[in-house]
Amino acid sequence: MTGYAPPIRRLIQELSRFPGIGEKTATRLAMFILHTPERDAARLAESIMEVKRKIHFCPVCFNLTEGDVCEICGDPARDREIICVVEDPDSLVAIEESGSFKGTYHVLHGVLSPADGIGPESLRLRELVERIGVNSVREVILATNPSVQGESTALLVTKLLQGKDVAVTRIAFGIPIGGDLKYVDSMTMTKAMEFRRGM
Amino acid sequence: MSRPPLKTPAFVIHFLNYGESDRIVTFFTREFGKVKGIAKGARRSRKRFSNAIEPFSHATILFSRRDENSLAVIENCDVLNHYPKIRADLARTMRASYMVELVDQFTAEGKKSAAIFQLLEGFLGLLEAGHGAEETTLFFELRLLTLSGYEPMLEQCILCGTTIDETGVTLFDTARGGIRCSKCSRGEEGCIPVSTGTVKTLLMGNGMAPDRIPRLILSENAIRESSRILRHFIRHTLGREPRSLQVLDEIKKMM
Ligand SMILES: [Zn+2]
Ligand SMILES: [Zn+2]
Repeated sequence: MTGYAPPIRRLIQELSRFPGIGEKTATRLAMFILHTPERDAARLAESIMEVKRKIHFCPVCFNLTEGDVCEICGDPARDREIICVVEDPDSLVAIEESGSFKGTYHVLHGVLSPADGIGPESLRLRELVERIGVNSVREVILATNPSVQGESTALLVTKLLQGKDVAVTRIAFGIPIGGDLKYVDSMTMTKAMEFRRGM
Repeated sequence: MSRPPLKTPAFVIHFLNYGESDRIVTFFTREFGKVKGIAKGARRSRKRFSNAIEPFSHATILFSRRDENSLAVIENCDVLNHYPKIRADLARTMRASYMVELVDQFTAEGKKSAAIFQLLEGFLGLLEAGHGAEETTLFFELRLLTLSGYEPMLEQCILCGTTIDETGVTLFDTARGGIRCSKCSRGEEGCIPVSTGTVKTLLMGNGMAPDRIPRLILSENAIRESSRILRHFIRHTLGREPRSLQVLDEIKKMM
């Protein structure tokens, strides 16, 4: 990298801070930016700044938003009495893309990770508990990932909501649609059996 | 050229997500001690790793590495135990996470210890079987300290050497790592009150195989005192509080 002029070196350094980007990829990206027309580069820089200036957390559900509240919380057609709890905005987007859910969300921005020191105070849990009281919420759907961390977070939320007048449910785990039983690992199979339903 | 792949039973003691879909995993293996490696596509490919790369999962792993100091490439994991009952319970999940964090903290890479491997296997087994999370943790802590060369002196006074049967115990001296008899009990900072009964219970449990631990019946007081002295001693030894314990405290405060 020492062969490059200082401004290029700085760009490479900045780009290699991105997740999953090593110095090689960063160099390739820097070269691309260098050869790109100036207005394209300006647009890239501007959209980075725009995200930083305009995007903030929705004060209700902690989704990322440009407006006062996010589009979902602001939509009168969404059912405010059902809250789906997710780990991060990516999970929210995945559920939204399915079009299968008409309630509202609560984004925790993380999961319990004891080894990394991430506990309940690092997650948006108090805010969730407060929401339950205010909006006569009927159901809280726990849609954290089916991992040890997602599962323990779901258990924690369940404990926090104990004694409140609200149904707490967990999304189902099981055989993927179009999948084949013989390729399913034993843990998933156990869960699929556990979450079976009547016909 | 890398050498042919190695195969060993292992526990996942730490991992972090890396890039789009990889994980950097620290295993504690039976044959090679602590091994750090990259599991490529671990967050996507269920088949190769069969969901084994999760905190405290027990699996047979297949890995290759150039030498002992280089990052291993994890090729395959076959789950031996997911510990479904631990995972279904918050308190047990937290304790199991704490146990693997301690193993990570108290072991060095490349140093094999079949005894520590068996210890982890035995005590995760106790948690899975539903034995009390708190007392299970105590004996795990004590045993791990002992196996990694930090055994606290519990048989006799750390200052004058009298045995506990002679004068009884009054304090645990965190900095010196041992108990103090009633004659040497003049208050000093870093000393924690502890009763003779508690120390005797700890001594009894320290020599026991994990599967016999459930036969020990501990009073509330013994559990409280033991966890206090062990916690202080571990914090002193590591130079910081284990992260899982901080999280455990946060959870307790919230309930
Ligand atoms: Zn919102
Ligand atoms: Zn003494």
